[in-house]
Amino acid sequence: MRVDRREFLASFFAGSAASGIGLTGLRYFELAAVAAPSAPDEKVFRTGHSNNCDGACGHEVRVVNGRVTFVGPASWEKTTIDGQAAQDFSPRICLRGISQMQNTYSPDRIKYPYRRVGERGSGEFERISWDEAATTIATKFQEIQAKFGKPAVWIAPYSGSLSLIEGDPGVAGRFAGVIGASLGDGMADNQGDSAGPSAFNYLLFDPNDPANNGGALDGHEYTDFANAKVLFLWANNLAETAIPDWRYISAARARGDLKKLVVIDPRYTPTAAAADVWAPIRPGTDSALIDGMINWMIKNKHYNEDYLLKYTVAPFLINPKTKAFLRQADVHPELKDDAARAKYMVFDADDKTVKPFDSPDLKTASLAGTYQIDGATAATTAFQALVAAIEPYTPEHVAEITEIDAKLVVRLAELYAENSPAAIKCGFGLSHWYRGDLTHQALLTMATLAGNIGVSGGGVTIFSGGLTSNAFSNLGNWLTPDDLKPSSLMPMDACAAMLDGKPYPVRAAWFTIDNWAQQMSDRNRVLKALGSLDFIVVSDYNFSATAEMADIILPSCTYFEKTDLLSSANYYLQYMPKIIEPLWESKSELDAFAMVANKMGVGKYFTQSPDEIIAEVLAFGDPKAPDSVKGATLEQVKSGAYHLNVPTPYVPFADKKFATKSGRIEFYVEALLPYDQELCGYKEPIEAIPSNPLFKRFPLVFLSTHTRFRTHSQFANLPWLKEINNQGQGFLEINPTDAARRGIGDGDVVRIFNDRGSMKVRARLTEAIKPGVTNCYQGGWATRRVKHYLEGHPNNLTHQIANPAQSIVPTFSSNAAYYDCLVEVESSTEGANHA
Amino acid sequence: MLKRWGMVIDQNKCVGCWTCAVACKSINNEPLGVHWNRVLTTRPDEDAPGKEPVAATAIDVPHGEFPDLELAYQPLACQHCTDAPCRRVCPVNATFRRDDGMVLIDFERCIGCRTCFAACPYGVRTFNWQRGQYGSDFEVGYGRDYRWNDRLVFTPERPVGVAEKCTGCVERIDNGQEPMCVAVCPAGARVFGDLGDPDSEISFTIKQQGGRQLLADLGTGPGVYYLPVSRPNKEHI
Repeated sequence: MRVDRREFLASFFAGSAASGIGLTGLRYFELAAVAAPSAPDEKVFRTGHSNNCDGACGHEVRVVNGRVTFVGPASWEKTTIDGQAAQDFSPRICLRGISQMQNTYSPDRIKYPYRRVGERGSGEFERISWDEAATTIATKFQEIQAKFGKPAVWIAPYSGSLSLIEGDPGVAGRFAGVIGASLGDGMADNQGDSAGPSAFNYLLFDPNDPANNGGALDGHEYTDFANAKVLFLWANNLAETAIPDWRYISAARARGDLKKLVVIDPRYTPTAAAADVWAPIRPGTDSALIDGMINWMIKNKHYNEDYLLKYTVAPFLINPKTKAFLRQADVHPELKDDAARAKYMVFDADDKTVKPFDSPDLKTASLAGTYQIDGATAATTAFQALVAAIEPYTPEHVAEITEIDAKLVVRLAELYAENSPAAIKCGFGLSHWYRGDLTHQALLTMATLAGNIGVSGGGVTIFSGGLTSNAFSNLGNWLTPDDLKPSSLMPMDACAAMLDGKPYPVRAAWFTIDNWAQQMSDRNRVLKALGSLDFIVVSDYNFSATAEMADIILPSCTYFEKTDLLSSANYYLQYMPKIIEPLWESKSELDAFAMVANKMGVGKYFTQSPDEIIAEVLAFGDPKAPDSVKGATLEQVKSGAYHLNVPTPYVPFADKKFATKSGRIEFYVEALLPYDQELCGYKEPIEAIPSNPLFKRFPLVFLSTHTRFRTHSQFANLPWLKEINNQGQGFLEINPTDAARRGIGDGDVVRIFNDRGSMKVRARLTEAIKPGVTNCYQGGWATRRVKHYLEGHPNNLTHQIANPAQSIVPTFSSNAAYYDCLVEVESSTEGANHA
Repeated sequence: MLKRWGMVIDQNKCVGCWTCAVACKSINNEPLGVHWNRVLTTRPDEDAPGKEPVAATAIDVPHGEFPDLELAYQPLACQHCTDAPCRRVCPVNATFRRDDGMVLIDFERCIGCRTCFAACPYGVRTFNWQRGQYGSDFEVGYGRDYRWNDRLVFTPERPVGVAEKCTGCVERIDNGQEPMCVAVCPAGARVFGDLGDPDSEISFTIKQQGGRQLLADLGTGPGVYYLPVSRPNKEHI
């Protein structure tokens, strides 16, 4: 037990402790206790990190006297739930996980419920009781639903937490269903991360098949990248944003297994610096580059013909009139049987006839070519259609579009096509574009040509882990008890509902684990929409920009203070025990929603404890539990982090079965015909491209990427992270040539602007960014009390222009294209004249 | 058999994430503004003969001109030198070296003269000019005193007026654990072990991959080695 310094001094002066040091002067008396202390009463807990970083690290949390004193990396079990040997997964953590304590013990935490007393956004609140808060919420929600319809209340959880109950959609989703409200996000991350996933539902899943739940996503377990001969990190600054996954990649390279690490990025990030090949592409032109690589593969016959014939729609003939697949009914209209009429058709090179793709007397389906169907009509194969669409993308033409040297375009194609298996890992940055869907459509097409889908060490992966597995297959039932369902209103569509009443009016909202007022694109529009609402509830642990807009603020627990389960970005089940008592008057989202539900007369749906919810969702003891969690018990889950019952490393589509209409990889996408996107030919970004007339006024691309020192807007104000990150102050990365042209010096205040809004920060001149491109790390706060940017916020510049093609995938139907953004930058020194 | 502790840091794996720096901060309850361990932004082979000295820039800013750029990272803490200059100059033998190679400060004996600051060529010592401000209002990390041969070599709140620096996590290594920076590195870039054992992983790694010491010509004999950045498969197109 440490002796308090004052006690020590008092006892010293009283002469009762002989320190043995004969020194004069008070300062030498300020010593640590001379008595040897006993070991403290230290307890150790294991939990998972559920904040929104896609790391899902396991934490070993040390607690002394009821306070968390250290967070370190925890170990993982070496087997699956059902006892099979799994992989050796290293304990992992990063600077953010270690700093999680500072989130919990922040002096700025929201401690009590509050009611707004000033103008909305004025920051004037008065403390109220939980009972009063819950009553107010219940009353207002009932009023608004009665007057404007049930979906007029928008429940908006988001990805601030990825855990089962407290995360997205979690208990918020169940509450929304029970009261018939509209629900913001169902784990589909439609605020900028859904473009890539939508493309998986163009080629690999039928979005209309109920089994795919409106849209599916799958990816390789990240440890599988160690099995690749060549790895492309495409718009993925993994060494900064997903640091624990870097371990396996660098180890594979050190062993000589990974021959080349290729990084595609307009910025020279730590990841690019570690690469063997770095391609500084003009951002937004990635599908042109991929088309160029496909063009090379086709010209040099570097594609896997067997794979294409067996697993893809490559040999299927296209109806020249409709451009849909040719069906047997088109050739034999007299057929009566529906199944026979629907059959896809191929050309048999052997007997030179057109026949169904599954005909028993098919000898050799033709991959390429154009064939006579009848006297007047000729049809090409889907593969031939791809060849034609890709024809213009020669290395020289691609070089013009992408600003990557033609030689490098060829080299990238060689690296991908000549090494098998070759893996592609995409960052979500690639999805922050209007054409993000098309980019991933092109990547999946290229991977298909190489026969890399469903192959260990191959594939195209954006995200992988328990969230994309069927481990939570019972979650849908838990979210909709008694089949009570919410309406779906994506974050991208909410402004129109609030401002214009389309598709229905939204008059109230409850934000939880969601900093929508700051993190959503087109911030000025968002603030206007929020300002128009009758009633806003915000649950948070920080006084976020969204909390500032609230009518009622509810104090949330951080994850040390509540029980939950995590299985997000890896394939382990991580029990998250309650480690300390909730601080101040904070409550879990479960308790908060239960309180309001009780006052609304639907409390019967919120009587379960966290352990009971976990048991229900994982279907413990149910013989019909999904294979991935079969055999799990609460005891086992609490005892350690076991791997799901999937092969390790997990490889999606290993069985080459695809839940598409045809059962094959559909790189020719019939459903995209209305959008002229049935193949992956390049289309320009909606805004950030030189051919846009706006480019004359706003010639700089504006990125707002992720920094290692924050996770979106979490961790942004923590002392340990701010002091090594420019005191938390944002800055604009700008190339010295662009800066010189504008008379901007390093450290100068600059104004970044376009027609939607503006912001101010200091400039950081760096060669690490391609000329013509600028970057300001997102996630810093723009609140009344804390400003990490001098004025405004990066989202003042971004937009909400939605890509209609994505609407064919219900779950991934819209996407905020943050990076598809043009700005101009000017020096903003005081006293300067502005025209 | 007495060990001779050392560490090797692989600059091929280090990506400058600062996890080691923050973990060190946390386990040792370092005040704000104090880092026993920090990560420098540099470039590969920065100390190779003939190369220009690295100009100070902000973190993550590379060297060169777009697109011909270089970037590397160098975590830096006490090098636990065999012939530590700080130990030589300490007038009261507060700084001392154990036989196993760890260079430590006795917080009860340090008189705050700061001669060790002048002596250390690596700049890895910090000084408590005033009562520290902390990130939290209670002590975090190891949380208790640790004595070796009755010398106070770790205490959660170091007194005002003493020097402090990386302790090599003596309270952990004496307990069979690795230093915290080694345990947390997400990239697996650090190896800790017995330099005196030629068959240990650390000895093997240093030999095989050409581990080098910082400012080796000064003869301080650091116990920390760095594996230089090596990109045999790098292409310039």
